[in-house]
Amino acid sequence: MTGENRNIRKEIGEKLKDEALRTNLGRFAEVYPAARAAALENAGDVEALREAIKQMKIDTVDRIEEVAGRFEAEATKRGIKVFRAADGNAVFGYLMDLCKALGVKRIVKSKSMASEEIDLSPYFKKNGLHVCESDLGEWIIELAGHKPSHMVMPAIHLSRYQVADYFSKELDKEIPPDIAFMVQAARRRLRGEFLNADMGISGANFGIAENGAIGLVTNEGNARLVTTLPPIHVVIMGYEKLIPKITDAALILKLLPRGATAQLMTSYMTLVGGPTPVMVKVGEHWVEKTREMHIILLDNGRLKAAKDEKFKQIFQCIRCASCLNVCPVYTLVGGHVYGGHTYAGGIGAILTAFLSGMADFEKFHELCIGCRRCTEVCPGKIDIPGLIEELRVRAVKEHGLPFVMKQVFENVMTNRRLFHSLMRAASLGMKPFAKGNLIRHLPLFFSGLAKDRSLPTIADKPLRDRMKSLIRKPAKPIGRAAFFSGCTMDFVLPDTGESIIKVLQDLGYEVVFPMDQSCCGKPVSATGDLETARKIARLNIQAFEKEKADVIITGCPACVEALHSYSEILKEEPEWKDRAAAVSHKVREFCSFVAEEYGKRGRLTKTGGGPKVTYHDSCHMKRVLGIAKEPRQLIEAAGCELVEMKDSDKCCGMSGIFGVKYAELSMPILEQKMNNIRNTGAEIAACACSGCMVQLQGGLDKQVPGVKMKHVADLLAEKIKD
Amino acid sequence: MKKTCDDWRRHFPAGKFGAHLFPEFEKRAKAVSAEIFRVKTSVEAADVVLNLARFTNARKVVSVSSPLQEKAGIENVLKSADIEVYSDQGDIATHAATADIGISGVEFGIAETGSVCQDGYAVESRLVSTLPPIHVAFLDSGLIVPGIIEAFEIISQVFDRGYISFITGPSRTADIERVLTIGVHGPSRFIIVAVDGELQGGGEAS
Repeated sequence: MTGENRNIRKEIGEKLKDEALRTNLGRFAEVYPAARAAALENAGDVEALREAIKQMKIDTVDRIEEVAGRFEAEATKRGIKVFRAADGNAVFGYLMDLCKALGVKRIVKSKSMASEEIDLSPYFKKNGLHVCESDLGEWIIELAGHKPSHMVMPAIHLSRYQVADYFSKELDKEIPPDIAFMVQAARRRLRGEFLNADMGISGANFGIAENGAIGLVTNEGNARLVTTLPPIHVVIMGYEKLIPKITDAALILKLLPRGATAQLMTSYMTLVGGPTPVMVKVGEHWVEKTREMHIILLDNGRLKAAKDEKFKQIFQCIRCASCLNVCPVYTLVGGHVYGGHTYAGGIGAILTAFLSGMADFEKFHELCIGCRRCTEVCPGKIDIPGLIEELRVRAVKEHGLPFVMKQVFENVMTNRRLFHSLMRAASLGMKPFAKGNLIRHLPLFFSGLAKDRSLPTIADKPLRDRMKSLIRKPAKPIGRAAFFSGCTMDFVLPDTGESIIKVLQDLGYEVVFPMDQSCCGKPVSATGDLETARKIARLNIQAFEKEKADVIITGCPACVEALHSYSEILKEEPEWKDRAAAVSHKVREFCSFVAEEYGKRGRLTKTGGGPKVTYHDSCHMKRVLGIAKEPRQLIEAAGCELVEMKDSDKCCGMSGIFGVKYAELSMPILEQKMNNIRNTGAEIAACACSGCMVQLQGGLDKQVPGVKMKHVADLLAEKIKD
Repeated sequence: MKKTCDDWRRHFPAGKFGAHLFPEFEKRAKAVSAEIFRVKTSVEAADVVLNLARFTNARKVVSVSSPLQEKAGIENVLKSADIEVYSDQGDIATHAATADIGISGVEFGIAETGSVCQDGYAVESRLVSTLPPIHVAFLDSGLIVPGIIEAFEIISQVFDRGYISFITGPSRTADIERVLTIGVHGPSRFIIVAVDGELQGGGEAS
């Protein structure tokens, strides 16, 4: 794994230095969210549409054989030849036979990702056939010898100057790097390809079972030419493109162009139902004939996925790539680092696992930071990060964890005393070094150095050692609140831990801090090591059920997520299942809990007079827990003036182990966040997640030193008189 | 001429289409660089096409007829201005790739997206709308449906087999540096001639 990793690290480094890629992708990512939102303004109820697409696709995958059978029957009835291909080799064999039988020498293609997935063009070329991509972006990367770096914008990694070089070579004359000129040069050059082709190959954005028709969504018009001029038309499409009814296509068309390129509709949407007429020159005359039409339904791992309870979700993908467009990592490095496959980004990692095998997946799955931004935009509502986590679990089951991680997880993380004594040792041990490091949730031995961010040192006195002086039992407690601090708040941000205790005591709660609590287990389960995560869960359940608390409060949304998951990960252990559920059930996130309590007491009101504060939405807080309003209300209740930053809910770049292991990726993401904070003019940046706090504090310290980092609990505690 | 449906008009859902949707359609179509000429009579429609041919120095036009074009006598108007006009299937096949303008009819417009729906089962209707640098589409301004969903309600009734397209503005690409560029493989100008009145069907009286 390390050897393969090193390659990816090198590739990431190269991509980060690639000016063209960074500029094109960066500019696109910058404008995409607003452009998409504008395109959705007149789309009607978007959430209902997404749900409808999801349900339509689930219904299809659950009876995929029946739908495919109907599609084949209807297409066949209308004169189309349908071939079911198990894999790329089956496609090659079928098409080579066809080309021989019909004397095909020249082939023109419009976009078919399924054909790229099996490397069809190189195969044709090896066998002496002339084949040419006609989608401009696909043609450019064909000339460059690249794989697509984006599913919709395949050549987004290239600059006009690079394109001009490729064009100059191909057209054997000097082509200036003028985009309009180059597009016209491509038009002239490719026109002949359409007019002289013996066979046209296209993909399909959907295939309709009801009448055996296919749909094509394009902007350039090449698919119209490919389906109009050559006397043979071959469609290569994956099973996941099948939909039952003609009207189902409308759902896809409502969201595909809007999600892909923020267009209400692409320039062309084409439905081809059965063979259509074609003009063929016989001697001096043009004669109308019926076009020969073939549809190849490609399996290549899809039908196996269809039977997998979790991974059948990949059938919900309509290939719009909106998930890539919002991915903080993808938009930095582009698609090539995802293994050089046809499909990039998070969804690409999943598709690749099924279409190219797990070995490839294991090389780049860590590039998903689990921020879940993609889950907000996916038209098919695919849980991309969830599926990646599931694939990790399966990979760990099959191949185990890398050695060092395995040692740490199995021996240290399941032994609370050892873990905590190492944390204490770290606070002493790092003194001789200039700056200490602690990464989110994880001890020192995982850390790396980062020059654009200072990582906070481990506190001299962790929260657990301060408890005696902090706990003040109210005279008439209204309830008993157990505090789960999480490692970060315990050892790195104990002052914030104090704030939380102060706020809860001020509300009238008796606060208890179970000393046997340990890491929540999130960093462990995130790597796919569920076995160790279960051991940790059992330790925490024991620690908390002793306290008989009414509620368990934590100020870190990732911890909340982990604690809530205990009942799920222990559901097959009869003696733990109910105990886990009982503990999970009591866990509440700090802000939402306090906002509710403040509300009951009439304290959730704007007070004013305080400093300007901007709020960062932690990914876990907003997209896993769905909490965004309450922390803002609390900031205003604490008397602060709330100013929103741009992209407040975009990941800060920390995301557990990622922030340190891939510091080179984490830093540019953090830098965007720093700029957005700086532009608000706020004096304080607030958030409600200890992981984000570590990252943001480190970034502010180095890049925006005038702005202070605070947890919402800190702002509230400052308002409370001792 | 081969069509996916010989009488699209019969399948428009009562009360769900009409000229009242035209302003929205026009706004959306213009936003994606379609050019729209809304005219009251077929005589005006003929003027629009003739002026276009003059301004673009068009010498050769390929045309697939539709009732609106016939009523406007487009082919004769162009011919009398010394422009070559080809409308036979074989001639279209010969000349579409070198023609300056292609003309055809379309079935209806979609307000939500500014698209028009073309019945392209006949190969000649596709040749005139894909190969020349300018495509002129004749549309009945009363046949506008609200959105994609309604468009597919119609299509689902008529589409047993055939070829149907939505055309939304001219051919475009942003494949080089995300810079929007008009006119790649298809027409660089897409011109809608929307004719009021005479042929209008029975949507909503408005």
